[in-house]
Amino acid sequence: MQILEFILSPLMALVIGILFLGLSRKIMARIHWRYGPPLAQPLIDIIRLFSQRSISHGRLFSAGLVFALAGSVVLILFLPIGRIAPLSGSGGLLVILYMMLLSPLGMALSGGQAANPNTSIGISRKLLLTLGYEVPFVLILLAVMTHFETISIVGIVERQQQTGWALFTSSLCIPGIAYLLILPAILGIRPFEMVKAAQEIASGPMVEYGGQFLALATIQHALSEFIGIALFVNLFLGGAGNPLIFFIKMLVVFSLGLFVNAALPRLRIEQAIRYLWRWPTLIAFVGLIVVLIIRR
Amino acid sequence: MDRNQLIKWLKAPVKMSHKYSLHAVYFCTGCGIIEVPPVITARWDAERFGVLPVATPRQANLFLITGYVSVKTLRAIIRTYEQMPVPNYTVGFGSCPINGGMYWDSYNTIKHLDKYIPIDGWIAGCMPRPEAIFVAVTHLWTLIDKDMADGYKRYRKHYRLYRANQERVLGKLEWPPLYPIEERDERRTQEKAVVDVQ
Repeated sequence: MQILEFILSPLMALVIGILFLGLSRKIMARIHWRYGPPLAQPLIDIIRLFSQRSISHGRLFSAGLVFALAGSVVLILFLPIGRIAPLSGSGGLLVILYMMLLSPLGMALSGGQAANPNTSIGISRKLLLTLGYEVPFVLILLAVMTHFETISIVGIVERQQQTGWALFTSSLCIPGIAYLLILPAILGIRPFEMVKAAQEIASGPMVEYGGQFLALATIQHALSEFIGIALFVNLFLGGAGNPLIFFIKMLVVFSLGLFVNAALPRLRIEQAIRYLWRWPTLIAFVGLIVVLIIRR
Repeated sequence: MDRNQLIKWLKAPVKMSHKYSLHAVYFCTGCGIIEVPPVITARWDAERFGVLPVATPRQANLFLITGYVSVKTLRAIIRTYEQMPVPNYTVGFGSCPINGGMYWDSYNTIKHLDKYIPIDGWIAGCMPRPEAIFVAVTHLWTLIDKDMADGYKRYRKHYRLYRANQERVLGKLEWPPLYPIEERDERRTQEKAVVDVQ
């Protein structure tokens, strides 16, 4: 049964991630008053990309991409999707905190070999942005772990099933708001789209990927979007009893992010860092103090 | 549009995906580029056809050349074309790439783009309307369906001749050949070039 979960969990994340890519293109088109592509357009793109061969710039160019993809897949095994949680017994939030860094590092390794100036700019922006949202992210996770007195994410979900969603409790609503404020940065959507700014630096880290490399990079992007939203649903919206409810909760959070994406322009990287280290960090810090006072 | 027919997808998924996922590089050579922003944005919405502008040739498989091609631009066009992964499709937009158009007598534009890179289809007109791009895309679907959009195959097969044409305009090219050129053939072209000069 557990072996089945090991296969099922990344597969579901992949399907939901690609569906979300299609949904985002369709919803954005409707916000622009366009008709938009069909829902399966990212799938069509991925089939097309897998059938094309592109050049590799070296061994690390290919290996870094696989490293980033593997980091995302392993991270998904730690996340409970409904009741499906293959690696529930070990690690918990601390492992997730470490694994979140693997995919930016893998992309950086891969981009370093590509020797394209646009790639270098994109990678440096990606690492800076990661540095920006990791600070409030750690504070948020500290608040959650202190409140529930556990590092196990399955334990946190189970506690919320008894006591209600953490976002609407008095102690954890402030870290929840801080998470919502950094969610666009984790997902890499506007206003924090400066990593893949197509008009500015020619899609940044993706600029040298073509064919199968781009297909793998698209899948990695879909999985990392899934992780960012699933973590919020698990930590603050009480997880779910079955995958369907989980998917609906994710959809609500994701469309919230899409509306922000449609409404706001792109920030520069130093504006983004200034924002991330000021407001979300401040709110998360206040949340941590509130959690400590209420526990006392 | 047979995009929603499941049986066709199961029979030939690769060909169908090539048809309906055209990621385009627009080469802004001349005035034709002014028709492209309305096409890719909200007014005409190319994305409903699966046509999406991308920023780099490595991700693209549709190459749209909009406007006259000067000799300097030709160098960039050839390099861009050779960086696109196969199968890639090229469309010339406007009358200038077809036969020189109003730049027929110009000293530094080339007249027939088809001699330097293979072209799969033309959009005639000066200027063509934005809708003409959609006519071209649907026509390109038909060509892909019948395996007639074979510009990348022609380029590989006749690479020696294309390269000779490119070198005649641009002089010695500083990048290595995309496909291997047999030495015997090369000697023959050199002899032919000598004969031409005499």
